[in-house]
Amino acid sequence: MLHCLNSNASGSEMTVLERQRATIKWQHNNNHHQGYSSSSSPSPSSSSSISLVQVQSSSPTCLAAGAWPKLDNNFLMGFTSSPSSGFPLPPPPPPTTSAASFDLNSAISRTSSCPLPSLAEGKETTTPNNKRKTDKFHNTKVVASDNDNKDKRVKVAAPNDSATVGKKGTQACGDNSNKDNSKVSEVQNQKPDYIHVRARRGQATDSHSLAERVRREKISERMKFLQDLVPGCNKITGKAGMLDEIINYVQSLQRQVEFLSMKLAAVNPRLDFNMDDLFTREVFPACAASFPAIEMSPNMANTASYLHFNSSQQIDAGINPQDISLRRTISAPVSAPETFLDSSCFTQTLPSSTWEGDFQNLYSVAFDQARAASFPSQLFTGLLEPSNLKMEMDM
Amino acid sequence: MRNQRSVKQEFLRKWITGLRRYSCDEKKNMSFLERKKAIKLSADIAMASTRDKTTRWSQALIANASSSGDTLTGSSKNNSSRSRKKMLMMRRRRPKVKSAKKEMSASCIAKRLVQKRTRKLKNLLPGGESIDEGCLVEETLDYIESLRAQIEVMRYLVTASQLIINPYP
Repeated sequence: MLHCLNSNASGSEMTVLERQRATIKWQHNNNHHQGYSSSSSPSPSSSSSISLVQVQSSSPTCLAAGAWPKLDNNFLMGFTSSPSSGFPLPPPPPPTTSAASFDLNSAISRTSSCPLPSLAEGKETTTPNNKRKTDKFHNTKVVASDNDNKDKRVKVAAPNDSATVGKKGTQACGDNSNKDNSKVSEVQNQKPDYIHVRARRGQATDSHSLAERVRREKISERMKFLQDLVPGCNKITGKAGMLDEIINYVQSLQRQVEFLSMKLAAVNPRLDFNMDDLFTREVFPACAASFPAIEMSPNMANTASYLHFNSSQQIDAGINPQDISLRRTISAPVSAPETFLDSSCFTQTLPSSTWEGDFQNLYSVAFDQARAASFPSQLFTGLLEPSNLKMEMDM
Repeated sequence: MRNQRSVKQEFLRKWITGLRRYSCDEKKNMSFLERKKAIKLSADIAMASTRDKTTRWSQALIANASSSGDTLTGSSKNNSSRSRKKMLMMRRRRPKVKSAKKEMSASCIAKRLVQKRTRKLKNLLPGGESIDEGCLVEETLDYIESLRAQIEVMRYLVTASQLIINPYP
């Protein structure tokens, strides 16, 4: 993982032009593959999608669409740092993503580029993005240069056959940039330092008030993201009320952290946490993340029909987060076969990896309330098969 | 979702290495509260370093932890965190409160309510006192997400440790 991060660091020092060329190449490849849908579709309403987008655009060595699933685990961590270090923002994601998700993507990308100047200093090369001042036009300049890059890219792409892609890109980004102000004009190439804002009818044309309005709308846009994130914020419309909810939520999260750390301290009389067991546990979710689909097929082939019958019953009960006892009964066979198989070879421990992945998956299902309909069911059959085997052996 | 998982894994790894270092250093038995503090601190620092110091709250967290003289943080973090802390201090601009008369207009009341709450939110966030409001919401978003991930990993660890001790209830 380290070498990947290093390669990311070196890759992040590419100039803007190189990156643009890389993005053009990427678009070409995308056209050839005709697989906008084959490209990894970022999850719409999470900021993790921005890191996926950036990985696609700025790694010219991994242009094949098939390489993307492997990229995720390795490159994403390195690239989560890149948004805020002031790089020129990546091209818009493939047009098949919905406009709303795209808005989220580039909006978040724009918002995340609000760093300290020290971060940007050591990394940037001579680009218009380097003119970074900490005044109120700070973010607008980023927007301006973002539009600037997109304009340039459109002009380069136009003579080729990917004109439709370019147009859609500008349209999408135009829509997004216009989201703030309904009449924000496109930035001219000669003046990347200013953003031109047209005043709406009946509003003040003072430069201060315009800037103020832009700032306010940016803030309100980000508040909308917070509304999605904080549960129960959808019904409240006022700024003060929403801030109240946000404060309560942050306080409750912090209290939960305190409580859980207390619980951990109570559970472990020493601080060692039983390294072997935990190390295997922490490794297996990594395997499970990348291998679940592959492993499930042999498991599925081996399952008897009665297992399916049992599993369907267990799924409904298992997803219920309040059913702790059931979780215990599922997990209890997990731990025993795991120790049983611990010393065996890697291929045999793979089934236990699916348990751990499923264990964690249970939590993500329970707490995130994000359910992939078919996926947990398949994982569950894999879970129950070894447990039933174990019971048979006992008998 | 995959990014969430990798974030959680990295957080877990860093946390456990930090705790291992801590437990190796401290030979004596720590009290319950000390243990709890160590766990929470290492978790916070692991979370903050997972963000790779890209956000202000993570920098401030690390800066606070290192300035309190904790043995957990390495010396390499100290230099950068101190310089960052200085920068944060220099940026602090307290607007002067000019409330001479009592204004009863609705907009002013609303503004004051919002100001009160933003101040409260700033106090909640680590290193949040010196953030301007444009970045405040962004930082809060980031902080909330990482807190969530931290809580999930901690919960997972709690149940895992409980299962080790008591496998067949």
